[in-house]
This record gives sequence, structure tokens and C-alpha cells, in this order.
Amino acid sequence: MAMGRYMLRRLLLSLPLLAAISFIAFMLNSLSPVDPAEVVLHAQGVPNATNELIAETKAALGMDQPLWQRYWNWIVSCSKLDFGSSYVTGKPVWSLLGPAFLHSLKLTLVSVAAIVALSIILGVLCAIREGRMLDQATRGIAFVLTSMPSYWLGAFMIWLFAVKLDLLPTSGMDSWRSYVLPVAVITISFAGIYFRMIRSAMLSQLHEDYALYGRACGLSESRIALHLLRNSLQAAIPVFGMAIPTLLGSTVVVENIFAWPGLGALSVKSIVSRDFPVIQAYVLVLAAAFVLFNTAADIANAALNPKLRKSV
Amino acid sequence: MNRMMKAFQLTVLTAVILLAGCNAGPAASPGQSDAAAELIYATAKDINDMNPHLYTGSIPAQGMVYESLVENTKDGIKPMLAESWDISPDGKTYTFHLRKGVAFHDGAPFNAEAVKQNIEAVQSNASKHAWIKLSTKIASVAALDEYTVQLALSEPYYPTLLELAMTRPYAFLSPNDFVGGGTKEGVTGYHGTGPYKLAEHITDRYAVFEANESYWGGAPKLKRITAKVLPAGETTLLALRKGEVNFVFTDDRGADSIDPEAMKQLADTGKYQIVRSEPMNTKMIVANSSKTGSPVQETAVREALWYAIDRETISKQLLNGTETPANALFPANVNYADIELKKRDFSLETAAAILDRAGWGSDKGGQVRTKAGSPLAMKLYYDANSPSQKAEAEFIQSTAGQVGIRLELLGEESSSIAQRRSSGDYELLFNQTWGLAYDPQSTIAGFTAESAYLYTTKGITGAAELYRKIEEVTVSSDENKRQALYADILRIVHDEAVFIPITNGTVAIVAPASLQGIAFKQTQYELPFERMYFE
Repeated sequence: MAMGRYMLRRLLLSLPLLAAISFIAFMLNSLSPVDPAEVVLHAQGVPNATNELIAETKAALGMDQPLWQRYWNWIVSCSKLDFGSSYVTGKPVWSLLGPAFLHSLKLTLVSVAAIVALSIILGVLCAIREGRMLDQATRGIAFVLTSMPSYWLGAFMIWLFAVKLDLLPTSGMDSWRSYVLPVAVITISFAGIYFRMIRSAMLSQLHEDYALYGRACGLSESRIALHLLRNSLQAAIPVFGMAIPTLLGSTVVVENIFAWPGLGALSVKSIVSRDFPVIQAYVLVLAAAFVLFNTAADIANAALNPKLRKSV
Repeated sequence: MNRMMKAFQLTVLTAVILLAGCNAGPAASPGQSDAAAELIYATAKDINDMNPHLYTGSIPAQGMVYESLVENTKDGIKPMLAESWDISPDGKTYTFHLRKGVAFHDGAPFNAEAVKQNIEAVQSNASKHAWIKLSTKIASVAALDEYTVQLALSEPYYPTLLELAMTRPYAFLSPNDFVGGGTKEGVTGYHGTGPYKLAEHITDRYAVFEANESYWGGAPKLKRITAKVLPAGETTLLALRKGEVNFVFTDDRGADSIDPEAMKQLADTGKYQIVRSEPMNTKMIVANSSKTGSPVQETAVREALWYAIDRETISKQLLNGTETPANALFPANVNYADIELKKRDFSLETAAAILDRAGWGSDKGGQVRTKAGSPLAMKLYYDANSPSQKAEAEFIQSTAGQVGIRLELLGEESSSIAQRRSSGDYELLFNQTWGLAYDPQSTIAGFTAESAYLYTTKGITGAAELYRKIEEVTVSSDENKRQALYADILRIVHDEAVFIPITNGTVAIVAPASLQGIAFKQTQYELPFERMYFE
């Protein structure tokens, strides 16, 4: 029962948070010193914006209304999943954001699966062989690879695998082969962090009483390791859960290097062309994803650890 | 100790592998695209909405699919969809005799009725097209018979044919694609009369153009052109080296997808060639002669600044030779601009002498000059997103500082710069001429437009005469008179130094070494793909 109440409380709390984020996203765009009607015309490529055209555009897009009215109209249409129309193409924002979101999600999910798998394998191995050559080497290499800027790593891997060895395509999203390099770059950049978390969780479990008891009972090391893993994962699940929105937002560099038509590429394009409706919708969608996953992670945590259910 | 050695060895090994990546060797053989008839070019922007009567679409792509009545070439206006034309003696009526046997890509016939519908569709959205003066002069268009169209203007306007030749908006779309009898609400298809038709388009990924086998000018030899959306820089370079794309060219903003060193690297492999065009436009500093209370109002100050710019160094060192020094508003290959103008080379002594004569207190080793208590200080605005303007601005700031001119540099967005220009809220700012397709008439027409260069030119002593001459030249129908008027106009602004040229931009193409027929058009926005072929 306490679980249900906790879930309800967390969900309700997320609503004002989303409202505040939507307001900030809307306001930030209005802070630009340039007349928004001029921005629209510039985005549409009109060679020379005369004063009459600016006035006409202003009226057509409802920009002469007060800020509060515009914000309210936007929020109401957002709730119907109508994020307005792009300044550049005039098409509905969702027709741009929807497919981009799906493409990014595909990349993110595959990457998260790879990160989880790699982190668990490396974490377990390193915890079991703590202090030995494997552990130190893995930690050292992971440190170097994670610190490398992903744009450099991406360019290097494209050069090596796509150009020099001619094994994979350089960019784009054409077949399963196109997933290999982007997922590899993301995994290398993030697994280095997550595997250490698994490792330290395992290490702390290794010294628990039940591990000693298991050994005393004569259980094999691998069976003990399985139990240790289960307990470590409980701590790790919420963190992995948060990895999904984190990765969704961090794919900007990878998507731009690999010409992956996802949210990262879309956000850069719309920022450069000052396509405000797309930027606003992007911020809102990503923030909503963060809040959602954060809430889900908290709920998962509370489900695993009853002590957390009392707090909000 | 043993463990440390092993760890050290592993680290060294890893470092060696990684460092090997820094020394990129020669490319693997080009792969997919050496099918003799295909070109794949990389572009940073998607082709977007290809409505020929709006401005969101990619210009080079529109240039492949749609055509105009006439074409602007080095040797003047040539026939395109119109075989011949007559101009009435008063210059107000143009009668076009259309080419027969031309069809749109969807089979609809190209005839006078189609021309009339297209021009009327453009005119019904007139405010969007106010930048092109012709749209304000068209009074009516009539189809006299199946292949004769008559265009009536409200007053004579000599650049009529030049403006009809532009890639947009006066290009022709099949009337079957119109929505609600027009095009401003959108269009249902992109069927033009050009040598290529749009076959496939996936937004933000690629667009495929196929040769129009029944093109009136003969089917192009290059059968398939793909525009692949790739971000500029490493991705494009690696795709070129692998052969996934085999063509790049300067985009409509004047930006290249790969830098000059990368281009040279590709050419050195022997698989690619670099071709550069003639000067296409002029990058310059615009000086607001009407800014009250500022030193920029004085001709002497503007002239001195002109002399204080080292164009050779900017062209060779800052821009790697990709742009050539410019000494006048328009390069000699622009119509009417091949005239004698006073040459102002880089000379700090001359600049100092001019300022001394104008009463600006002589500088004591690089300090700011003063006159009647006010310092010789001005603000220079540049486009913060431009890769080269900041470096150029800083260089100019340092050389100008040596003669006692203090320039304060401010980087802003291009739309902010455009707003400053149209409100007169600036002293100096970076700008560029419209380009070979529009020069000189559109840039010069801009001298009188508030949204362009009105404030720039308003404050010069000969302003009234300048505006009168500009008005005269647009209605003049006598070629010799026009040449004389243009010479006067260019001389006035040159002597007043309100447009301080820095360099000329060009279009650079990187193409497969086996591609022939590479040429440029009299516009920096289109390429004649229909003339290219693999040998």
C-alpha cells in the first residue's frame, strides 16, 4: 500500500516540474534580441526581409499577442501533441521530432544493451580478480578510452574500420552494419564509467557476511559470484535506467559525426537555423523523458528497498 | 615491479596503436560510386521543400529540376524555355516566343498557359518576393496563343530578363502540382522541365535525382545524382576518401564542406580534382556614412581604413588562398564593372597621411588619434558564426591600430547583423555582395533600399546624385547610356569608400579525376550537372 502511495506522490510531483521546464524552454527562446518575425524569414531563406513582410509574418504567426497568451496557446497545443510548425519547413514539428526521436531511441537502446552487457562482464571479472593484472589493465584502458573526446574517437574509428579496412560504412543509418561504429563509440565512452560502479558494488558485496558463510558451506565460487551479482544489480538497475535519457541527450556528437538522423542532429540543425518551435519541443520532450525515467528509477529503487518508500 | 612493467607495456602498446591513427595514410580505393554514370555529392543541408516559388529549398537542387524563360551567361542573356523575345520600344512590354515540344516531368505540356499560371502564382505572394524588384513592376501577364506570352510592366525595367533568369522565384512548375490554383499554400509535387527529376527523397538523409530522358536539350550523360546529407568536416572527408560520396562544392552560404588542406590531400591521391571558379562575389566592410556623431561619417576616415587593410596577407594566410584580394566593389567579370578605379593598396603611410590632413591628431606610436576631443574609435560588427570573419576582423583591428584607428570588434548572429543594417544602427559591419547572378543591379538597387544599404550611402556628399543615377539606370533602355551611368555610380561609391572590399569569394568543386565537362554558371548557386560526364 505504501508503494502505491509513493508511486502516486512521485508521479504528481513530476507535473509541476514539467510545467516549470516548459516555461523555461519557452522563455529562453523569447530572450533572443532579434525580432522573431525576422528570424522566421531568415530561416525560410527569404533573401531580403522588407518591413511590410515582417509585419505580415508577425500577424500570421500570432507574434503580436502578449507573451502569456502565446505560452498558454503553446502549452495547450503541446498537450495535444501539436508542437506547432517548423519555421524552416512549415511542416508540423512532430513530423520532424517523431522520426528523429525513434532513430535516436534505436541507437540508445542498442547502446544501453551493449553498455550493460560490457559493464557487467568487466565489472564482475575485475571484482573477482581484484588488484591483479587484468583489473589494473582494464581500469587503466577504460580510463584512457573514456577520457577521449568522442568526436576524435569516432573519426578515428571511421578512418580505421570504414576507410582503411573497408569493413563498415562511414556514416548514415542504412543497415545493421551502420549501428556498429556509433554503438561502439558510445559504449566505449560510457562503459568505462558504469563498469566501475558494478565493480565496486561487487567488491562491497564480496566482503559481506553471506559470502563468507557461502564459502564456509562449501559453495563453489561461481555460485557465490551469481548471488553477489544479483545483489549488485539491485543497486545498478536505477542507474542503468537513468542511462537511457542521459544517452538520448548525449548523442549530439555521435549523431553529427555519423550523420545519424536522430534528435542530436535535429537539435544542432534547428539551433543553427534558429528554428524555435523545434528547439522548444526538443527541450520539452527531452526534459519529459528525464523526469519520467527519473521517476521510474526512484520507484524501482523504492520497490527494491522498502526503507525509501516513506520519503518522497 | 613485474606487474608495473606489464601495465606499462600495455599502456605503451595502446598509445602506439592510437597514435598510429594520427598519421592517416593514403585512402583505400574508391568503392561504391565508380559506376560510370553516378555522382554522389555531400551537402550539410537537406534539399527541403522544393517549391520553386519559395526560398526554403536547396538552390542547386532546384537548379537541376526547374528552368527559367532565359539564362544569364558570360555572353549575356541566352534563350532557355523562351526561344526568342521582343521588347517594345517603350521598354514596358516583353513578348516571349516559347520553345515548342517541351513537357514537364509529369507529362503536362509546357505552354503559354502554364507560364501565365506560374507567374501569376508568384505575383499572388508578392510581399515575399519584394526583394526582387521585377515583382513590383509586373502589371499583367497574358497568353496570346499557345506558345506566345506577353509580360506587361508598369514602367520600363532593364534588368527584367536578368531577374527572370534567376533560379527562383520565376521558375516553372507543372500546373498539376498547384494547390488551390497557386503555390503559396504549398505544392503537391516537384515536376519541372529541367534535365533532372526528383526520384526519391528521405528527409535529412538523401535525395536522388534521375536524368530526364526526354529533356529538350538532350538527355544528360550523368544518369543519377544523389545528394547525401552529411555534416561538414571529418565525416564528409572520410566519406570522400572511402568513395561513399565523390563530389562536393561550395554551398550557397559560401561555406565549403572540407577545408583547403583536406581538399589538397584528396587531390594528391590522384583520384580527385579541384576546380575553382572565377570570382563570384565580394566580401567587404560596409561603412555607415549617415551615422551621426561618429568618425565613420568622414570620407578621409573611410579611405584611411581602406589603405590600412592588408588584403594579400588576409587572402594568403588567413584564407589559405581560397579567396583572392578585392580592390573594388565588383570584380572585373561582373557586367558593367570593368572600369578604371583608383587603386588603394595596403599602405600605412598613406593612411596616416590622409588622417593627418583631415585633422586627426597624429598618433604617438599606435595610440588612438583624436580630433576636437573625440577619439578615432569605431565599432566593427562581424558574423559570429562565420569561420573566417573573426580572424579577419582581429587582423584588421591590429593593422588599423598601427595608424591610430581604434576598432572595437563585436560578434553577432547574422540575423542581428541584418537587423542592424536595415535600421542603420552600426558604424562598420562585414557584408558581401549578392553574387554573380545578381550583380551589379541587385546590389546597386540595394543602395536605395532601407533593408539593404540606404543608411550606408545616405550620408555621402553626392547621395542625391547617386540615387538619381540609380533610378535612371533601371529604366534606361540604351546600353551605352547604362554603361556610362553604372561607371558613374561605381565611381561615386568607390571615391567615397563606403564599401571597403576585402576579398572575392569563389566556388570550389572537388570531383572525381575522371569527370569531364566541369563548368560553372553565371551564378554561384547552381552547377551545370547536365554538361558533366565520366570519360
